[in-house]
Amino acid sequence: MSVDEPDERTTSSGIPLKPVYGAEDVAGIDAAVIDGRPGVAPYLRGAYPGMYRTKPWRIFQLSGFGNPEDEGARIRFLLEHGETGFIMEHDRNIADHLYDLDHPDVVARREDVGQVGAVIFSARDYRTVLDGIAIESVYAHPGGGVVQHAPFTLACYWTEAGRRGIPLETLYGTNQADFFLTYVGCITKQQVPTQAGLRLNADTIEFCLEHLPHWVPVSIAGYNGADTGLNAWQELGAVMANAVEYIDAVVKRGRHTAAEVAPGVAGVNFRTSMDFFEDIAKLRASRKMWSELLRRRYRVTDPKAQRLRIHSLTAGSAMTYQQPLNNVVRGTLMALAGVLGGTQSLGVSGYDEAISVPSEHAHQMSLRIQQILQSESRLTDVADPLGGSYFIESLTAEVETRAWEFFEQIQSRGGFIACLDSGWMHARASENQIKLFDEIESGARSVVGVNTAKGDAGTFEVEGFRGTSDAWERGMERLTALRRNRDASRARETTQALRAACAGSTNVMPAMMDAVAADVTVGEIGDVFRAVFGDWKVPIEF
Amino acid sequence: MPNRRARVLLAKTGLDGHWRGLSVVAHALRDAGFEVVLAGMARPDEIVAAVEQEDVDLVGLNVGGRIEVVERIIESLRATAPAMPIFAGGTLPPAAIRRLRELGVDGFPPGSSLASIVEAARRLTAAAVED
Repeated sequence: MSVDEPDERTTSSGIPLKPVYGAEDVAGIDAAVIDGRPGVAPYLRGAYPGMYRTKPWRIFQLSGFGNPEDEGARIRFLLEHGETGFIMEHDRNIADHLYDLDHPDVVARREDVGQVGAVIFSARDYRTVLDGIAIESVYAHPGGGVVQHAPFTLACYWTEAGRRGIPLETLYGTNQADFFLTYVGCITKQQVPTQAGLRLNADTIEFCLEHLPHWVPVSIAGYNGADTGLNAWQELGAVMANAVEYIDAVVKRGRHTAAEVAPGVAGVNFRTSMDFFEDIAKLRASRKMWSELLRRRYRVTDPKAQRLRIHSLTAGSAMTYQQPLNNVVRGTLMALAGVLGGTQSLGVSGYDEAISVPSEHAHQMSLRIQQILQSESRLTDVADPLGGSYFIESLTAEVETRAWEFFEQIQSRGGFIACLDSGWMHARASENQIKLFDEIESGARSVVGVNTAKGDAGTFEVEGFRGTSDAWERGMERLTALRRNRDASRARETTQALRAACAGSTNVMPAMMDAVAADVTVGEIGDVFRAVFGDWKVPIEF
Repeated sequence: MPNRRARVLLAKTGLDGHWRGLSVVAHALRDAGFEVVLAGMARPDEIVAAVEQEDVDLVGLNVGGRIEVVERIIESLRATAPAMPIFAGGTLPPAAIRRLRELGVDGFPPGSSLASIVEAARRLTAAAVED
């Protein structure tokens, strides 16, 4: 290789990259699509006509730790400092597993409780968290990232809204109930099987169609697949394959059409990481793919039903432990990829991500990054500013082609859920993880402060946010009091009714609402699920 | 040359099921010739039982939560298998790394090289495999 000859390069996902792109690289792409307009199907150039001039992206940060009061205080802090929606993170020990605080597996790790999410186990706790927060006018993700947790969180949040006299049909927010988190990236010790998870999600989708038209009942989070190892086009293809499972499950019930179901499934979540252009291409391609999926597979003609809405989240795994202030720059770059890709909603990981959940200061920095991008740097003036770039259009088309191929591979293996049950999806993530770490180990991939540029003139120590230390003890006091002073017969009857609903084929949500209104706890609901649905057989060992 | 392959038990101390880091470390150790036994999200008593049953030479703890939980596991292990070497990795804030050091346990935070983890595993099992 001469000094003037560029070396061979690919994107993170392995797409070969030329040193420069020209007209010949977009010659094969449908000119009408490239020349399309935002807000017009197939939405390559943006979900809405005016993009950020008319709809600024939502500043939407994850938060949660400690007691319900701590969680409420942090949400109010974020809203006061410029957040425009809030996301509640729940304690993994109890929420993801549907365990009460006195479950042996939780007691054995009681100091962990409340560290990475708030301890919220009843509708009473929801009331405490939400005290002083105007939920009638703030967009909320009240938790339930994990599939089996979602019906409980939704029921609690909606019950609190009802208690305040807010009509459910006016309430807006979202929920994840994400298969990528639950069955790919963060596999719990115990979880309902995938088919039961699908049934629960189909129930919430139907319930929202009938009672909460502004609620987004599921949010497929490719993010969680990507941060486990799926590359850009695998993430994209798998998200589409997941959506097919949801839409098919609800349509099969015969009460709603694909066009009715699609908008509730079309609020998705993608990761942006440290391959700037590939991530922009991925977001652009995703909108076009969604439109085509709806048009071709489901014969949906209404352009509005073909619109994909994106929440993008910066890669937690890209945030380094070493020289943590560098993560402010990484957060900015990854967020910028989301903005240039046309995201509707954005979360920026804390600079202390590799050390702890965000401190108040780290959260404030995430907000400031978003605010600098949104209001200071003139990024929002023109929609899809990279549209028409030879490189971006060529890369978008290539990511889309590969994503459809991956989608077809999944279909040929029986579909998305079959690929989770068999471990095929995990194997794809795993092989990429190993490759990524090998590249970092060999230096083929640079990570500043980690495998290169390790010198640190003035060490900025981040000790990590410790949060509270009494979340288990205080939670146990609340749990004991609740069991003593709730209406025991009502709790028992509603639990039995929930069990009957789960065992039958009626929608579980009405019975879930009754149960949480009767102060049935997250662990008791878990007991019902475990008894009726059993456990998922985890296809991998870790 | 070691007489036999060293056996390493890897366990997650918390109920946080993010498995990517543990999986990569397990792969690196196997690549380096170790036998790896995976214990999953195990409670202290389950880790102690696994150590007894599996006849391992080293315990690796994958930490996603508080150091107090890790300390409880270390105490339990030292009570039942006092000579068992232990190392730990994961989301370990600086204070947790310092505490582990006081307890004589190497801590590997995010960004640690796989080579350094393998090297530590070799060092900690050297005596056992050359018996």
